[in-house]
Amino acid sequence: MSKRQKRFQVLSERPVNKDGFIKEWVEVGLVAMDSPYDPKPGIKIENGKVVELDGKPRQEFDMIDTWIADHCIDTKVAAEAMAIDSVEYARMLVDINVPRSRIVQMSVGMTPAKIVDVLKRMNMVELMMAMQKLRARRTPSIQAHVTNLKDTPALLAADAAEGAFRGFTELETPVGVGRYAPMNALSILVGSQIGRPGVLTQCAVEEALELTMGMRGLTAYAETVSVYGTEQVFVDGDDTPWSKAFLASAYASRGVKMRFTSGTGSEVQMGYAERKSMLYLEIRCVMLTKGAGVQGLQNGSISCIGVPGAVPSGIRAVLAENVATVLMDMEVASGNDQTFTHSPIRNTARMLMQFLPGTDFIFSGFSAVPNYDNMFAGSTHDTDDYDDYLVLQRDFQIDGGLRPVSEEDVIAVRNKAARALQEVFEELRLPPITDEEVEAVTYAHGSKDVPDRNVPEDLRAIDEFMKRGGNGLDVVRALAKHGFSDVAGAVLNMLKQKVSGDYLQTSAIFDDDFVVLSAVNDPNDYQGPGTGYRLEGERWEMLKNIPQAISPEDV
Amino acid sequence: MNISEEMVKQIIIEVLDQMHVTEGIGLNPDEDVPPVDMTETEEAKPGTDRNEVVIGVSPAFGNMMTKTIIGIPHREVLRELKAGIEEEGLHPRLVKVYRTADVGFIAHEVAKLSGSGIGIGILSRGTTVIHQKNLAPLQNLELFSQSPLVDLETFRSIGRNAAKYAKGESPSPVPVRNDPMARPRYQGLAALLHNKEVQSVDQGKKTMEISR
Repeated sequence: MSKRQKRFQVLSERPVNKDGFIKEWVEVGLVAMDSPYDPKPGIKIENGKVVELDGKPRQEFDMIDTWIADHCIDTKVAAEAMAIDSVEYARMLVDINVPRSRIVQMSVGMTPAKIVDVLKRMNMVELMMAMQKLRARRTPSIQAHVTNLKDTPALLAADAAEGAFRGFTELETPVGVGRYAPMNALSILVGSQIGRPGVLTQCAVEEALELTMGMRGLTAYAETVSVYGTEQVFVDGDDTPWSKAFLASAYASRGVKMRFTSGTGSEVQMGYAERKSMLYLEIRCVMLTKGAGVQGLQNGSISCIGVPGAVPSGIRAVLAENVATVLMDMEVASGNDQTFTHSPIRNTARMLMQFLPGTDFIFSGFSAVPNYDNMFAGSTHDTDDYDDYLVLQRDFQIDGGLRPVSEEDVIAVRNKAARALQEVFEELRLPPITDEEVEAVTYAHGSKDVPDRNVPEDLRAIDEFMKRGGNGLDVVRALAKHGFSDVAGAVLNMLKQKVSGDYLQTSAIFDDDFVVLSAVNDPNDYQGPGTGYRLEGERWEMLKNIPQAISPEDV
Repeated sequence: MNISEEMVKQIIIEVLDQMHVTEGIGLNPDEDVPPVDMTETEEAKPGTDRNEVVIGVSPAFGNMMTKTIIGIPHREVLRELKAGIEEEGLHPRLVKVYRTADVGFIAHEVAKLSGSGIGIGILSRGTTVIHQKNLAPLQNLELFSQSPLVDLETFRSIGRNAAKYAKGESPSPVPVRNDPMARPRYQGLAALLHNKEVQSVDQGKKTMEISR
């Protein structure tokens, strides 16, 4: 076309047209939730053992089939569960008169193809209803990423403090430079307990190091233990369901909370989807996780979100996989994680799927730093979106997990976090944090506002800290010695939790007094209007009072 | 200093090349790019030349597929990688790996074939890894995982750094770029391209030497 129609010209320049869209290609599994090659539901059980799964006899099982058949499916309820018509079961998922307990009792008797067959009959609103009813913990919550381009420790501490203060109950950090990991973990540990005692922290790095940091008390939970839905992709990652389950047991034995991670699109992204739909393969991951005895799963495509995001009904599949996780009676950290679109409209719409019904962690996570500092390659929402998010909570009277804060208070917690870390570094013989750095990170928007550090010196010092067996108790001592006894108390309390192990229960978080809120003592009891979690009372008073609202007395 | 005709020619070629580099960024991804001559000579054997760096390309590279995800012709990718290696005084050697389309395993396999122990693995869409033979397959010296951000200049630097590792130096890693919007724009396309690549995988076929 030599001459363009002006409206089309404008449309072609809109953010949404910078996104990549592709047509379905079922032969390789580039299809969201309904491939003609997906197996038909079916099960055969002999002597309490699954001998045929979704049309495949046991001798043809791959290792994932074997795992699901032997460790996930409850053969005592399988016959009854598989006999329920898929439409009937889908209706039970949204029926307020069918209790959650009845639903999750049956779900573990179903096969992967059966679960897909149920979920693909549900539209967006029905899937949201199912999420509202089925999530494990009654109180919804939210997780954040805390990271920066330069791995500046004082900035990590300040951002962790602000994030915790704003209401995130879990904070996750990765690294720019790999060897920085323990220093990053230590920085957000100290910062988080200043923002709000009881906030859980993790450091997403290579598995052995991640476990070591958990055992040393530098982190409180783990999440980046990835599982996949086809054998080939598992093998490419040098893993099996058994090795992942072993790792899960290692965390449990040391009293460290953990969940697995998976998501639609990863198998086709790696070229081995075996012609199956993304949702079918993801359901295999969900059931594999259940079979490993792990309490929860992070899914919602996560790092492959561009793949389901590019095909028809892909974003619906993302909500369906979240629902599959709670259907299996596990905690869900439901994505809204890595960047997914150029379009602010698409971005918000995708977030509402989890925000409106509420999930265990609506985001996993929200970027508690500006996106240019987000070393998970950016999140759907970042610090510049805080006020929009608070207004959405207020508009809809929905608890998305964050609360309004004052600038003075944020300055104070950021400053305290930086000062506390300064003392910890001195005591632990780590390279000093200067007063200039403390001042800079207190007022910073992000890493562009803070001075550079001597990276090789930091790395040498943190290597040495790890070699001499440095741990969380060293941090407690340093804080106590330098007048931060309240923070020392909170960090010590976090260490004690690994001994008592209460927070290994499904969907556990801590309140300010280190009381566990989990599916055991805060179970989701939603059964229609008047039940379940309601944003009301003191909490609603707090969330509705955004500082920018004008009060009648002021005019 | 005497400027010979040969040197003038060389300079002109280099300038023209660089002009092409800047044009390369705006390449039209829809444009057809002719295939590269990927004539195979023999099964690739471990080298003994300590001054060589092996470049291992993926199964579809150069013939079944001819350009990266942002449209850089494979011919130019190879030219830049080789030029980077030669700049450091080392010799590039080109092989094609058929048994996998996993860039980490490709790079590790060719590092093991390389006389210097250093190899570069590259996928058709542009994802690249610098590897060393005594590392674990899923480790690496440098990884360029976001294929839409790997441009010609980066390929030249990758060649240069690989050669430096081969000489026993510890170069500063090629700066890795991060664009949060690369995912929404390219991830679906990357999945599509990767699945095309995987169709050329032949798990039983040996890695082959490519003639120069």
